[in-house]
Amino acid sequence: MSTADHVIDDRSPEPEPLTPATPRELKGMIKDWRAGRATKHLSEAFHDAYVALIGALMIGAMIINVILKAQRVVSQCDSTSCVSARTVLPWAAFAAAVAAALAVSRLFGPVLASAAEGFWLLDAPIQRARLLGARLVAAIVTALIGGAAIGALVAALTGSSLTSTLVWAAATGLSAAAAVSFAASQQGIERHRLTRFAGAFFTLLGLAALLLVVAISAGWLRLGLSDDLGVELGLVLVGFSSLVLITSLVSAVRRLGRIRRARLLSGGALVSGISGAFFALDIGLARDIVVERRAAEIGHVKVKRGKGVGLQAIMWRELQRLMRFPQPLLVVAGTIIVPYAADALGMSSLTPVFAALALFVALIPTLGGLRVLTRSGGLARSLPFSPAAIKLASVAVPAGIAAIWAVATSAAYLGFGDGAVQRTVPEASLMAIATALAGLLGAIRWTQAKGVDFGAPMISTQAGAFPPGLVSNLFRGFDVCLLITAPMLLGLSPFWSLLIAAIAAVVLLNSMDAESLRAKQAEQQKALAEQRKQRNAAAQAAKQRKR
Amino acid sequence: MAKRSTVLKVSKLKRAFGPNTIFDNFSLEVRSGEAIALTGRNGAGKSTLLRCLIGADRADEGTVEVCGNPMAETSAQIRRDVATVIDDLDFFPDLSVVEHLDLLARAHGITDPDALVDEVLEEVQLVPQSGQLPGTLSSGQRRRLALATAFVRPRKLLVLDEPEQRLDTEGVAWLAERLRTERQNGLAIVFASHEPTLVETVATRVVELGAPRG
Repeated sequence: MSTADHVIDDRSPEPEPLTPATPRELKGMIKDWRAGRATKHLSEAFHDAYVALIGALMIGAMIINVILKAQRVVSQCDSTSCVSARTVLPWAAFAAAVAAALAVSRLFGPVLASAAEGFWLLDAPIQRARLLGARLVAAIVTALIGGAAIGALVAALTGSSLTSTLVWAAATGLSAAAAVSFAASQQGIERHRLTRFAGAFFTLLGLAALLLVVAISAGWLRLGLSDDLGVELGLVLVGFSSLVLITSLVSAVRRLGRIRRARLLSGGALVSGISGAFFALDIGLARDIVVERRAAEIGHVKVKRGKGVGLQAIMWRELQRLMRFPQPLLVVAGTIIVPYAADALGMSSLTPVFAALALFVALIPTLGGLRVLTRSGGLARSLPFSPAAIKLASVAVPAGIAAIWAVATSAAYLGFGDGAVQRTVPEASLMAIATALAGLLGAIRWTQAKGVDFGAPMISTQAGAFPPGLVSNLFRGFDVCLLITAPMLLGLSPFWSLLIAAIAAVVLLNSMDAESLRAKQAEQQKALAEQRKQRNAAAQAAKQRKR
Repeated sequence: MAKRSTVLKVSKLKRAFGPNTIFDNFSLEVRSGEAIALTGRNGAGKSTLLRCLIGADRADEGTVEVCGNPMAETSAQIRRDVATVIDDLDFFPDLSVVEHLDLLARAHGITDPDALVDEVLEEVQLVPQSGQLPGTLSSGQRRRLALATAFVRPRKLLVLDEPEQRLDTEGVAWLAERLRTERQNGLAIVFASHEPTLVETVATRVVELGAPRG
């Protein structure tokens, strides 16, 4: 072999430098992959969804019908207090929408990315800001639509004119969008104190607006606000919120590239967990995910010694847990205004229903102990009590809160606003107790709901196979609230409501024991089968002996 | 030598999922101071059997008795006697590690549980995490907390499903020693395990599932 064979050809072309893909190209590639793995055409999906569409139309028509009926009832009340309350209530809706937008934004990001995007895209040498821009816009648009819907609904329900309704829809929607935009700008600099402060401020503002409604109706205060003034104030709010939206949006877009990857992914993980729970229509699980996430964020607490022994120990711990994180108590306190506000707006007959539903929703976070002890058997099994006893101990503290709530709302049933139904003190007290029981029992039923069993035999429908209990799971709790308050809604004595509540309490407090009853039943059936087998064997043996 | 009382009596237990029979005609008697190790390949039915023993799953045939009482998972007496560490243990998201142990001890009637809780916490090496909420614990630490819940309360029978899972080597050695001491002090133990050290150190009898028994 000659040395010439070893000469390296150094004229080979140099490799061209790699050009990073643009976000548009990456997104296009992902779109191609997704389209390639689709199992249905769009037309097929539409074909399958027709039942859902018809269902949505039916439910939508029912909701609109209810809104129109309520509006007709409210518009009949034309006293000064009713008109003033009507003008103030959209402010409460505006404040609530902004507070909710801030809270949700703080929980999820508001800018977020999925785990897959975090793994495949965020490490790529691309401009992160361009990738996340669409997410920010989506969050803002969602808040805008949601806020506008809330604003329009409340304005319509308070009997406002079309112009007023449109102005409040725009004001509430733009304010919610501005809140999300503001939270995003704070996310970019990893600061959450201002967002938290703004959230607390708007929550208090909402409560203050509701109190104002009550004060006006009681005649403690005279505002004399006209519908025109309400529209003008709404327009001012539109202008101000637009300004905040634009400035925060500019600042948020500039800071998009600075959001940490971990923060983006944690929001995405939360969304995927919650959306999984919602796909299974398991709202309890969705709440569990949020609660776990909050607890993980807090991480560490100051240890407190327990008190008492036996069931007392469980009750004390429930109280300590509530004192440690007392936010749910504030929400329950806020719902005290609901029956007063409903009565003030001339909806006397609907007051128990609205109040019970508000208390039902507010009490759910106070039943965290019951939730943990009923969702899986492990922890309950390690406590030396029957399920009914554990349940009673877990609900003792929320029951005490509901009792205080009943006392605080009794006056609302006496006939609070102008033109409200006048009642005696005993009757009003019984109504308050029945309403509180409806809220409490509804919350208990909702809390101990088990997830849908997808392993059970399915029900065949035109929309495909459905596991039993999938839809009814959504109405758990609401059903108890409506059942207990129905007699009061129909103008019957509250004694009927108390009777229904007593029956519901017996069923709910023993529902966990239903499993042991089933177990006993199975045992008995097993014993009967065993005896039958023995009898048959004996008869067989006797026959053989005869032969 | 004092006569050992029967703590767990299993007679002719059968469990099947559809046409798949997991175990059939399974009988077992465990006295105080005895430790039974269930071994066998994955899917042999160890966890299913343990779930049937503690009432978390219902057997198709046969009976289970704990201290002479028929097994009923919801019975307060059974819950007082049987401590379990299987995979379905849940925790309160807003109660710290030490508060969980304090609650369990108090619920079982221990009026001043501080010393006992501290001792168990030290043993499972969770003292630095005592104020932490369960959501922030690693999987190994959660396992240690689950084991601690079984040791912080009175018990006559201890049922564990692969207790060595997610424990480091040091942790497995500690667990083996702790379970051996518990057995020597008169506790009846039934556990499923794939860890030879644990089986050798703790078990007085080994039952292999999924294999013909002689």
